[in-house]
Amino acid sequence: MGSQIAQAIAAGILGGGVYALMAAGLTLVFGVLDIINVAQGILVVLGAYLSYVLSVHLHIDLLLGLLITVPAMFVIGVVIYWLFIRPLRGAERTSMTLLACFAVALIIEGVLYREFGSNYVSLKASYISSSVHVLGFYLPDIYLIGFALAVVAIGALYLVLYRTTFGRTIRATMQNQTAARLIGIDVNRVAALTFGIGTAVTAIGGMVYGAISGGFTPNSGYDLISRLLAIVILAGMGSIGGALVAAVFMTTAEALVDIWQPDWSVAVFYLALVIILTIRPTGLFGRRAARAQ
Amino acid sequence: MPDRLTPLLRPGGALVVLAVIAVFPLVFTNPTATNFGVVTLIFVAVCSAWNLFSGFSGYLSLGHAVFYGTGAYFLVVAANDWHVSGSAVFLLLPLAGIVAAIIAVPLGLVALRVRRHTFVVITIAFFFIAQLSASNLGVTGGSSGAIVPVPGNWSPATYNNPFYYMALIIAAATVALCWQVRRSRFGLQLRAIRDDEDRAAGLGVRAMPVKLTALVISAFITGMAGALWVYFIGEAFPQFVFDPLFDLAVVLMAFFGGLGTIAGPVLGALILEPTQLWLNLQQSNEYESQILFGALFLVVILFLPRGVLPTGAEYASALRARLLRRRGDQPAVPAQADAQTQADAQAAGSAS
Amino acid sequence: MRSYSHRSRYLALGTCALLVTGLTAACGGSSGKSSGSSAPILIGTSLSLTGDFSTDGQAFERGYKLWESDVNAAGGINGRKVKLIILNDNSSPTQVDTNYTDLITVKHVNLTFGPFSSLLTAPAAVVAHRYGFAFIEGAGGSPLVFSEKLPNVFDVALPVANELDPFVNWVKSLSAGQKPATAAYPMANDPFATPQVQLAQSELQSAGVSTVYSKIFPEETPDYLPNADLVAAKKPQAVILGSTNVPTVASFMHGFQQQHFNPKVFIAAAGPDQGQAFVSAVGGAGNANGMMVPNAWYPGYPNATSQKMVQEYVSKYGGSASGVNADVAEAYSVGEVTAQAVKATGGTVGSKIIAYLHSGVTLSSVEGPVTFNSLGENLKAAAFIFQWQNGKFVQVLPLGAQGSVPIIYPKPNWGG
Repeated sequence: MGSQIAQAIAAGILGGGVYALMAAGLTLVFGVLDIINVAQGILVVLGAYLSYVLSVHLHIDLLLGLLITVPAMFVIGVVIYWLFIRPLRGAERTSMTLLACFAVALIIEGVLYREFGSNYVSLKASYISSSVHVLGFYLPDIYLIGFALAVVAIGALYLVLYRTTFGRTIRATMQNQTAARLIGIDVNRVAALTFGIGTAVTAIGGMVYGAISGGFTPNSGYDLISRLLAIVILAGMGSIGGALVAAVFMTTAEALVDIWQPDWSVAVFYLALVIILTIRPTGLFGRRAARAQ
Repeated sequence: MPDRLTPLLRPGGALVVLAVIAVFPLVFTNPTATNFGVVTLIFVAVCSAWNLFSGFSGYLSLGHAVFYGTGAYFLVVAANDWHVSGSAVFLLLPLAGIVAAIIAVPLGLVALRVRRHTFVVITIAFFFIAQLSASNLGVTGGSSGAIVPVPGNWSPATYNNPFYYMALIIAAATVALCWQVRRSRFGLQLRAIRDDEDRAAGLGVRAMPVKLTALVISAFITGMAGALWVYFIGEAFPQFVFDPLFDLAVVLMAFFGGLGTIAGPVLGALILEPTQLWLNLQQSNEYESQILFGALFLVVILFLPRGVLPTGAEYASALRARLLRRRGDQPAVPAQADAQTQADAQAAGSAS
Repeated sequence: MRSYSHRSRYLALGTCALLVTGLTAACGGSSGKSSGSSAPILIGTSLSLTGDFSTDGQAFERGYKLWESDVNAAGGINGRKVKLIILNDNSSPTQVDTNYTDLITVKHVNLTFGPFSSLLTAPAAVVAHRYGFAFIEGAGGSPLVFSEKLPNVFDVALPVANELDPFVNWVKSLSAGQKPATAAYPMANDPFATPQVQLAQSELQSAGVSTVYSKIFPEETPDYLPNADLVAAKKPQAVILGSTNVPTVASFMHGFQQQHFNPKVFIAAAGPDQGQAFVSAVGGAGNANGMMVPNAWYPGYPNATSQKMVQEYVSKYGGSASGVNADVAEAYSVGEVTAQAVKATGGTVGSKIIAYLHSGVTLSSVEGPVTFNSLGENLKAAAFIFQWQNGKFVQVLPLGAQGSVPIIYPKPNWGG
């Protein structure tokens, strides 16, 4: 029993890293732009498909392929923002943005169906079924890689946000758009670039997702988006590091419940989510808003 | 403009529409047409009910499928256990609504304590808890699904009609209820909460009871609609009954038509649901209709960002103002005249 | 105020929308009244071309279309060509209802074929029954469908619960030293996977195989790792996995490999029957070696029509013979059974076809002989167990049955 629990916690922590990686882009966009990008699920799948194409048609290793998929997804993100989100204005802007993201998700899914059909495809690499032996446990290589990538990605986002001028510009825009405009910041450009960064990070998440999922189709995005949203809200608005904690909490809680009642593990997570959110509505690490949320 | 006539125009217009919808099955007797009608009217009811809560209070719920599904499963269990069949099953609909309304109380007490994005995610969480419970518990048939015996002896040519009229009654009553709520003090309190909850509380509006009442009413109607739907289809399976895409579709329709208006959700449902059903009947390629739907939606969002009704009303107001200015009758009305505020003022004026 | 008259205007707009709805519903699509001896036979069906069931839905589509072209190449049925009308139901029961209502009342089809999945077959069969249509289908075999007790339902495929019977019989036949001592039963929460694994569990338990793990996990979770770890930790000698698709099996296999755990026998309810998609998902033929799966058909099935169908599929859609999905054969069988019924009754009258199919007659199909009982279940449907052996997908059980080759037992270690 003890070793089962320890194994579950280990699996949970590593799995949490993978989810955090998928959610990092969502957290960034949510925190900075106050946009709930419901297309995040399909963007992860898109990243997985991009890695698939590079791997199968050009025989590029999955990790090396990131050098191509990350910039590609960055461009895609900027384009999506510029064409479909930037023009939205008015009092209903937040809700309309949500709907626009959903419409974009539908289109991306349709295009993926057109290109790849609905058969399951999967990513292949030597490190997908191998593991390292640590302290009496076998830890899967791909999860370790995923966790490491999550830490790197989140660390990089922190660096950008808090140590670069551009990051300062982003944070200024986040805190007060009007003031930012007044001092000459091109708010639209900043927003587009931020959205692009969010999508670029999602490319990495997509690759890891594709590797651990055992197979995916264009339809796989729907399963992901609700979990990613839950992680982001649980973490609290704008807390990127918090996304890692929230994700680890989610996967570890489920892995522990799996020991006894796997069919309830997902429900238990959502129940825990409800309880935590009623106690702390702004999430585990969310800043208290100036006025009531 | 003389105001003696206009208060009659709206109810008058509504009655005309109602009459048209009522005779629809007698004119278009083809069962496919009435099939469209049943499904569309169910969505009209659910969208209006959703709007009554989310549109009026500003709390966006993405978990209304919980009430839909609760009503549906209640009907399945009751019809099977109490051996109810045929037209008598329709008598179970209000009971299904009541069960959903009862569920809404504890859910509301928990969820309505938080706002905005957190509220949305909590409703999503409730949705998944409900879906997973339905998959795991035996009473609902679990993941194997459950059957509702459908009336076997109704003539095929008019089979859909009883469902159609039930859906019509529910939808019409819901729209009438929305209209009444809008004109009432209760409706004003809801709108105050939507605009600024803290200020409303400061002015003496008791937020929680008001929000909860709206949720309970909305849940009651949604539960009835769910029960009617499950009887129409004849089968209940957790992933179909608690379907996340259903919630999204309802929200989409309400936004499309115009959130917070009365006719908006109705219009949204009347346009979007038949369109979706019809697109799938056209034997188009699998992905084409999906891409088309998404693209169409984007176009609407970009050009009618507040929904068809309010933006349409704004365009029309601006147009009218331009025409009147040319005639020299009246000073220019600002193009951004908020159709909503005008109606609010009217309502406030007529309600007091 | 202005807004009121505008609102009336928009209510009028809504009325127009409703009228348009009525008109499009009534007149939409091609409606062909098909009667007379040389008019084509219209067959309508709804398939899940998008949505949750799209992988299988599209395979079914290919099977139906292959049958259509074959039948027409042979001159049609009773001299009449066949025309298939396939609608997309997006894996939604509401749409399935609308689709069949439309097919029957607007497009005036003569016959109907079933959709994919018991979950959609159940509501669709009710609609077909209302209009007196026979409902021949190949993907609705769960108890849910038969609990409706509709006289017009005919399922050519094997009832779900019995799929693992040959496997259970084989394990029982092993000697005490050979038989696996322990078994694990992880199951996805799905009406296809759970009943057969649970049945297998109770049978094997009474045969002396002790259960070390038996749990149901949610069907749609992107990460099966914790469950795979838990199974591996118990080190069962046999793993009977209630899976419904390739990713589930592939994830469990990856998990077992990571934990350096290899069971003596590993059978999955679905996934290994997906041909090349399965092999590439699990990292090659080496890993797939020894994996078993139940099915009623496989591309190498020694039946002349079946072989011809496989060849045609490959030349039309590419890929290799071993990659042909069993869904294709099921769909094709639906067509074949329908054709035989139409020939025998001399027409497309629903009641006659239903009576004919319930008469105990034995028909032939690419999946073997077909005879229906009063519920519409195919009594002659036989289950086989298949195994991957060095990159080939072969029939191994029932032992000694026609076409069975020796089974590889115990399962080779991963990669070899």
